[in-house]
Amino acid sequence: MFSLKPTAFAVSITMLAGAPVLAADPSLDLVAPLADYKIYVAENTAQLVADTDAFVEAIKSGDLETAKALYAPTRTSYEKVEPIAELFSDLDVTIDARADDYEHAEADPNFTGFHRIEYALWVEDDTAAAVPFAERLMADVTDLDARINALTFPPDVVVAGAATLMEEVAATKISGEEDRYSGTDLWDFEANFAGAKKIYALLRPLITDDAAFIEKTDGNFDEVDEVLAKYREGEGFKHYEALTDDDRAFLSSRVNTLAEDLSMLPGKLGLS
Amino acid sequence: MNLPRRHLMIGLAGLAGTAATYARAETPLTSDAPKGHVDTAVQRVPFYGPHQAGVTTPRPEAGIMAAFDVVVRDVDGLEDMLRRLTERGATLTAGGPVPERDPNLPPADSGILGDNITPDNLTMTVSLGASLFDKLEGLDRLRPRQLQRMVEFPNDALVPANCHGDLSIQFSANLPDTAMHALRDIVKNMSDALVLRWMQEGNVPPVLPAADGTTPSARNFLGFRDGSANPDSNDADLMRNVVWVQDGAEPAWATGGTYQVVRVIRNFVERWDRARLSEQEAIIGRRKMSGAPLDQPDANEHTVPDYTAGDHTPMDAHIRMANPRGPDADKHLILRRPFNYSNGIASNGQLDQGLLFICYQADMELGFLTVQNRLNGEPLEEYIKPVGGGYFFTLPGVANAGDYLGSALIMAARQS
Amino acid sequence: MSDPSRRMLYVAIAASGALAAAGFAAFAIATSRTADNTTDADRSVTVTAETCQPNAIEVPGGLRTFEIINTSDRPIEWEILDGVMVVAERENIAPGFRQTMKVRLTPGTYAMTCGLLSNPRGTLTVLPSEEAAAAAGNVTLRSFLGPLSEYRVYLSMQGAAAIKAAETLRDAIAAGDIDAARAAWQAARAPYRRIEPLAFRLSDLANTIDPQAAFLELREDDPAFTGFHRIEYALFDQNSLEGLQPVADRLVADLTTLRARLHEVDMTPDLLMALPADMSRMLAESRIPNGEDTYAATDAADLQASLDGVEKLTGLLTPLTDPVDAPLAADIRQATDKARAELDSDAPFDAEARARLAPVFAGLAETLGKLPATIGVD
Repeated sequence: MFSLKPTAFAVSITMLAGAPVLAADPSLDLVAPLADYKIYVAENTAQLVADTDAFVEAIKSGDLETAKALYAPTRTSYEKVEPIAELFSDLDVTIDARADDYEHAEADPNFTGFHRIEYALWVEDDTAAAVPFAERLMADVTDLDARINALTFPPDVVVAGAATLMEEVAATKISGEEDRYSGTDLWDFEANFAGAKKIYALLRPLITDDAAFIEKTDGNFDEVDEVLAKYREGEGFKHYEALTDDDRAFLSSRVNTLAEDLSMLPGKLGLS
Repeated sequence: MNLPRRHLMIGLAGLAGTAATYARAETPLTSDAPKGHVDTAVQRVPFYGPHQAGVTTPRPEAGIMAAFDVVVRDVDGLEDMLRRLTERGATLTAGGPVPERDPNLPPADSGILGDNITPDNLTMTVSLGASLFDKLEGLDRLRPRQLQRMVEFPNDALVPANCHGDLSIQFSANLPDTAMHALRDIVKNMSDALVLRWMQEGNVPPVLPAADGTTPSARNFLGFRDGSANPDSNDADLMRNVVWVQDGAEPAWATGGTYQVVRVIRNFVERWDRARLSEQEAIIGRRKMSGAPLDQPDANEHTVPDYTAGDHTPMDAHIRMANPRGPDADKHLILRRPFNYSNGIASNGQLDQGLLFICYQADMELGFLTVQNRLNGEPLEEYIKPVGGGYFFTLPGVANAGDYLGSALIMAARQS
Repeated sequence: MSDPSRRMLYVAIAASGALAAAGFAAFAIATSRTADNTTDADRSVTVTAETCQPNAIEVPGGLRTFEIINTSDRPIEWEILDGVMVVAERENIAPGFRQTMKVRLTPGTYAMTCGLLSNPRGTLTVLPSEEAAAAAGNVTLRSFLGPLSEYRVYLSMQGAAAIKAAETLRDAIAAGDIDAARAAWQAARAPYRRIEPLAFRLSDLANTIDPQAAFLELREDDPAFTGFHRIEYALFDQNSLEGLQPVADRLVADLTTLRARLHEVDMTPDLLMALPADMSRMLAESRIPNGEDTYAATDAADLQASLDGVEKLTGLLTPLTDPVDAPLAADIRQATDKARAELDSDAPFDAEARARLAPVFAGLAETLGKLPATIGVD
């Protein structure tokens, strides 16, 4: 009877995971990428405020078509910086909660934010119904922008953020449940993905001892880009339903592998 | 969970001399965990051989059937995936210590079996679906002749999300955690190539030996003994005829493989439990408690029914429609390897449970398809509803540590 | 969870006398393994459809592990909140599943979310502990990552603001609008002063951006008299824009270079801790007694901006020093407030005001000078 030696076993798993070499303690080399990341986030929240302003104006003026057209692009600035934005739990709820988070789902009086507006625009077909939520959203994103500017970013949240975003995609975007009324999930998918890629790009120069990790991760990011490119349309993306089963399976494989591999970043950079 | 593992650790380490010492301490140490068994935990099914394990291997208690979409671009990608899957299968079924990793990284292993993976009779049986042969260039001509997308029978209500797949893995083990550990390992380590499409857990209830020393068949969730007429999987000659693909019947690479049919068959158990016993027995064609055929009610489940002796067994009884015991009955034999499953409750508040039907045969037309076509319209249909599953071709075995699953298929694909 | 291990320990001690040495060794290995396993989670929290069970938890401060069990029928997330800030969270715990979460907790009162947003929140009380005190006192390099990067962001943002205002100034001069130029000069001054604690260390640039005539051989006629004060001299003393265009162009170019150079500075904890005291000392010993904006008389506004810059630094540093030296943090707060209050007064910025302010800033510098000693960075 064949039996594998324990050493062979250990080697085999290490080989699969890549040979991780760990930083004992975080290095000050992290300071620059952390600062650059905050600037990236601040630019995005400033953009979010500006875009939300236009989105809210369209809703208030009763322009359903413009409001629908602005929904997905407005959200992207939020989705890109979700690891930081969701640190503010009160605003994350009022800005981005989904109907599933409430006992009475869409009918729940506390259901607000982007998805409540999405529901009003696509299902209720009614801009007037969206006005109070739009006004609240404007106040909330303005508040979020101010709070983020005042925040010293926790380094571990930033570094772990790349995997967090991939987990987010794997859990809610790949299934099309995030933007279920509008079908604009691919916009969010790409925004989460871009946010993860930004963090990875900033930290990538600090990973100097694991070429295999870099090569594999670069390749997976590129492959997701290639598949997403097939679904680009105008400034954004096609309806979620356009996504073929084969491409969904492919994206799922890459996103899960990225989530798996990017979860190594904090350990590799001495943050844990 | 701790106590059994401690038993095991000492057992494996061969510290037999400490057994008495250990026993002294045991009473006050007993946690509320159920006690495991060293003898079954160390049971190991050989991974290498002409056929994959998990087909003629007797069923252990726990099973998982998982179907995946395969994400590879070409035959090279398929080979890489199959080699890695082989390595995981060999590793997991052999057992051994979990590799340690820096605690600042996610652990290499889910840890649900602790720091020492017990073989626990684990088998991983890998099979390919028709869609894989469709999607990869150069593979279509190598498709097993009868391999097709699962067809919908009249009584089926297939849920698309629970059907088909490019590749299936049947996990079997003594304990559910061992099977789940293996699935988690595959999901974690193979995520770039295998995307989980659907999965179904199941179990077989352990059966006490009968007074005469024989072990009766396990019961399904209809309360009947299931598998009474199953061919004997210990009979190698019989298995060669019934299960294993022989030279000449299929593309050469497929010799030593077998067709796997998976059907998730929901049982409407509330309604079944409210049916009269005599009706239940007439529908199945056996006595409920003993499994004896209706024409010989005092015999046992292994007694061959005699359909010529009067009309004791209705023409439309399940066992009679499935196997009318005609002269060519042996041609249509299949090896059944099912598990019972339970998935909580359905939206109507009724129990969602049934049979995770799995069967193997060398010829799917003569085997499952013939049997199922005979069963169309059977009275049992009122109480059952197939909702998922798929047809797959179980790859031939891995010869030795230098070989890998599907190596013959890959080689054939490269010969243009 | 702690009960069985204590019982085991008792058994181990009670039994040891009677046991053969070899047997005991095996037993000890076995029990120690078990002890490891049972400490997997410090607390277990079950989230039902309506609440957390238990709904009020006390744990000692330090690195704690929680096991969250979702017995509701929806996927949930579980969070520990400090006010509205998420301290730690686990997302997407599927129904029937459990997850563990490790988090380093400092003493205080936190809230726990329990499934649906409409569900009442639980309370998590983190008690003072030796572990928490030791962790707080152990200021590592890691704890400086946040403050150092935040200061880089500040340098970048304020640097950009200075450039933008200097461009407005340049354009106003080009347009011959002296009133607009005066307003723009003031607007460009504040962001520069805010980042001066680090900017003045780049002496070549400081000498072209901010030289004072008083320190130059030929005073206002010296060819090295460039930058802010040269423009101030023209706008507020000479009331003329003549010959100012190249000076303004140079200022924009120098501020742009400054921002790029600041981006390249390798920031270290030692440097960060030295900056606020050094800046305050320079204000107290030179800028305040000598006067600076001699033509525009805007020293008070400049000092406000300098104090903004110092406060940005102390705001980043005192959270680190607070656990080690709480009184010092209070002293710094008090000294800064005092300086701010003095600057807020409407009194003219005359000799008397200078005499009053100099010791206030000297006191601030002295207090801030204690910062580096409180923290020995490991």
